[in-house]
Amino acid sequence: MERFAGLLQQLPRHQGEMLRALHLAQEELGWISRDAIRLIARHLRVSEAQVYGPATFYAEFRHSPPPKTLVTWCSGPSCRVVGGDRVRRIFEAEFGCHMGENTADDELGLWLGQCNGTCEKAPMVWVNGRVVGPLSMVDTVKLARGLKAGDDPVTWPERPIKIAPATFVDAESTYGSEHADSGPDGTNDGTV
Amino acid sequence: MSSVYDEIREAAELSAAPRRSPSRPLVRVDLSTSSIAAEADRLWEALEPLAAEHDVDLVRVGTLGLSWLEPVVEVERPGFGGGGAVVYGPVRPEEAGQFLTAALGEHPLEDAAQWLIGARTPVQGVPSLSDHPFWAPQERRLMQSMGVIDPESLDEAIAAGAYEALDRAIEMEPMAICDLVLSAGVGGRGGGGFPAGQKWKFLLGAQSQTKYLVCNADEGDPGAFVNRVLMESDPHLVIEGMAIAGKATGSDYGFIYIRDEYPLSIARMELALAQARERGLLGENIFGSGFDFDLEITRGAGSYVCGEETGLIASVEGLRGMPKIRPPFPAQKGVFAEPSNVNNTETYANVPLIVQHGADWYRLHGTESDPGTKMFSISGSLERPGILEVPFGMGMDELLLGCGGGPPDGHTPKGIQPGGPLGGLLPASDLGLKLERPPFTERGVLLGSGGLILFDERASAVDLTKYFSEFCEDESCGRCTTCHGGSQRLVEVLERIMHGDGREEDLERIGVIDKTLQNANCLHGQFTPYAVRGLVNYFRDELDVHINDKRDPAQVAPGLTRYLITDQSDPRLEEAATFCPTSCINRAPVESDDDEEPSDELGDWQINEPQCIHCDVCREIAPDAIRVEDRYLTMLSVV
Ligand SMILES: Cc1cc2nc3c(=O)[nH]c(=O)nc-3n(C[C@H](O)[C@H](O)[C@H](O)COP(=O)(O)O)c2cc1C
Ligand code: FES
Repeated sequence: MERFAGLLQQLPRHQGEMLRALHLAQEELGWISRDAIRLIARHLRVSEAQVYGPATFYAEFRHSPPPKTLVTWCSGPSCRVVGGDRVRRIFEAEFGCHMGENTADDELGLWLGQCNGTCEKAPMVWVNGRVVGPLSMVDTVKLARGLKAGDDPVTWPERPIKIAPATFVDAESTYGSEHADSGPDGTNDGTV
Repeated sequence: MSSVYDEIREAAELSAAPRRSPSRPLVRVDLSTSSIAAEADRLWEALEPLAAEHDVDLVRVGTLGLSWLEPVVEVERPGFGGGGAVVYGPVRPEEAGQFLTAALGEHPLEDAAQWLIGARTPVQGVPSLSDHPFWAPQERRLMQSMGVIDPESLDEAIAAGAYEALDRAIEMEPMAICDLVLSAGVGGRGGGGFPAGQKWKFLLGAQSQTKYLVCNADEGDPGAFVNRVLMESDPHLVIEGMAIAGKATGSDYGFIYIRDEYPLSIARMELALAQARERGLLGENIFGSGFDFDLEITRGAGSYVCGEETGLIASVEGLRGMPKIRPPFPAQKGVFAEPSNVNNTETYANVPLIVQHGADWYRLHGTESDPGTKMFSISGSLERPGILEVPFGMGMDELLLGCGGGPPDGHTPKGIQPGGPLGGLLPASDLGLKLERPPFTERGVLLGSGGLILFDERASAVDLTKYFSEFCEDESCGRCTTCHGGSQRLVEVLERIMHGDGREEDLERIGVIDKTLQNANCLHGQFTPYAVRGLVNYFRDELDVHINDKRDPAQVAPGLTRYLITDQSDPRLEEAATFCPTSCINRAPVESDDDEEPSDELGDWQINEPQCIHCDVCREIAPDAIRVEDRYLTMLSVV
């Protein structure tokens, strides 16, 4: 908080600095706390309401502390047409929380993200900002459970996982080649 | 040329010489957002320690647009086959060493065949990239330097011609620049297509000491990433375009509003601004001409309506990004109540080319209504998704089926989603439409800002419409009830239909909501019904089947489908059960006759329907034993 207060002082005292100040708060504190709002209001010489307004208008600003590992789900259309909504349902079921919420221990959390044009990785999520995709539904369950088990989000998965069911059971015998053929990216959406 | 620019150019050419006429091989690695998503950063780390050993110069570049082949690497070998540049991809990080050895060896054509795509500039014996279906019909003007120059090197940009047009424009009368841009016929690339030169004249004529320029790089349309690619791959083109616009409109300051989802764009633009300032290309008295111009970046924070110009202005001012009713237009009352001009990133980027080559050159391509070229980002169900630049007026089929290769794995195109959430839907039979605004408007959709999404028979048009309506509801600024209430009702109706509760009168209801929304305050609300109108007009059969037969042909609506186990003997069911996120696949112990001792024997596998979230994991694992059925059909047949 002190560091944030110090950095805030370097911004000009003008309402046009609002978004910069809010971004600064989120970067420094992880979220926009009431205290942060008070500090910004005093520094920019506006009312707290004039800070609270923008702080709650823009979807990127958090109003509760972030989890240790944030899974941002891409809500975009290219992801959706190849099973993106299923990815969402799997994460919500596995984590036991909805978009915008954290698990009870604040270890994991979900966030609704917008397409940033890496659609050729669809369907995908960002784990602490890193793209993981294209995800088959099996991949998705593995990813969700891996993160729950405390897999290091920085190094896991080693690379965007494709179809290869490398880490569980006896892949060859249980899956057969048929499964691996289910789609270009391992997804088999809807139709049989 | 002014002597100041001359000097800058000469120095830049000297310092960029090793890249422009190299004495040792250049290895260019595409480090743009989507490439990094494909691990280009890890590839770079793997290549770095090998560079010295192979005596190559490793260069960071933007994107050539070949998204499906990322990470893309280009190798230019002086003296080899004429010294051209060969494009390879995808090169996985773990293949770095093997790749370098092959591509730099005696027989790259054979040894690096698995990665070879084509030669961007002629190399003897290597198939030319211009014969590639993705590349052939392209007319790369804006994209000329993309993927070739290092976007973080001002020297390379200048050596490739950056800021030459600014030098020329600074000598011109403001009105002459406006006239030039007007006669070239550049339409706004943000979707509206309003003549940029005309808008500039409004600002030039505005009576005020202070005038602001705004660059709209909010690019909120999902599936559109034209502006991102521009900023990441050739940031100086955008800056130069804005500086020329500054001269043309009598403005000396501008804001570049970049959405927060584009951190790399923000970083590259920040760097480019700092470089330009340091070199005297921005700031006071540019090229000793007395013209001052500077820019700052405003970072968005996740709001779609902030792409609308008045919402964007409110956001720059530090308010909630809520659109206002126009007039007053920005040229009358814009940022901080001063006269302002808002243009899309791509609109500004076209300007240096026009100043450089003239209006006639600009009009060599394109159509009467939309002269010039346009960058398109194509995605969805495509063999080759990516970003390309083609003349306006090209057939959409040529772009999506020709360049993009159509749907993979024998799927058939079902429809197109142009222009983002407000753009509407088109059926596959409209693939022949020309890529210019009028035919799209006639069909009741918008060509928009350059995103085109193709979907195939696996996607549900009803589900997509619900998604876009939900998006519009979420992103409604909330000022007018017409918009936020109207889109809410729309989502409710669609949701009900997708749960098997569709009623015949729903069509009428949708019509009423459509009419109501047209009275919303701003274009966001007014365009919200475009998607559902597309559904009703072009995918009526599918909607009717949902409403009347309670069936979803694409089988994605959880309310209209259910998962059934069809083969109890399949051993994979065991595994499917362990992977089910809600543990809804079970087998209960068989009831034994003996009350005292329950039996160990297990009964049939069952899916507990209320728990099932329709995630498809089980069917992915046991495709032969689990089937998706129409919920109501199977229920009927059971009775
Ligand atoms: C809801 C809504 C969202 C918009 N989003 C964008 C956007 O993301 N990028 C953009 O350039 N224009 C967007 N526009 C269009 C802008 O309002 C404006 O017309 C445009 O920036 C003008 O620039 P141009 O003339 O160069 O196209 C949007 C419009 C509406 C109604
Ligand atoms: S839709 Fe998910 S990345 Fe574009």
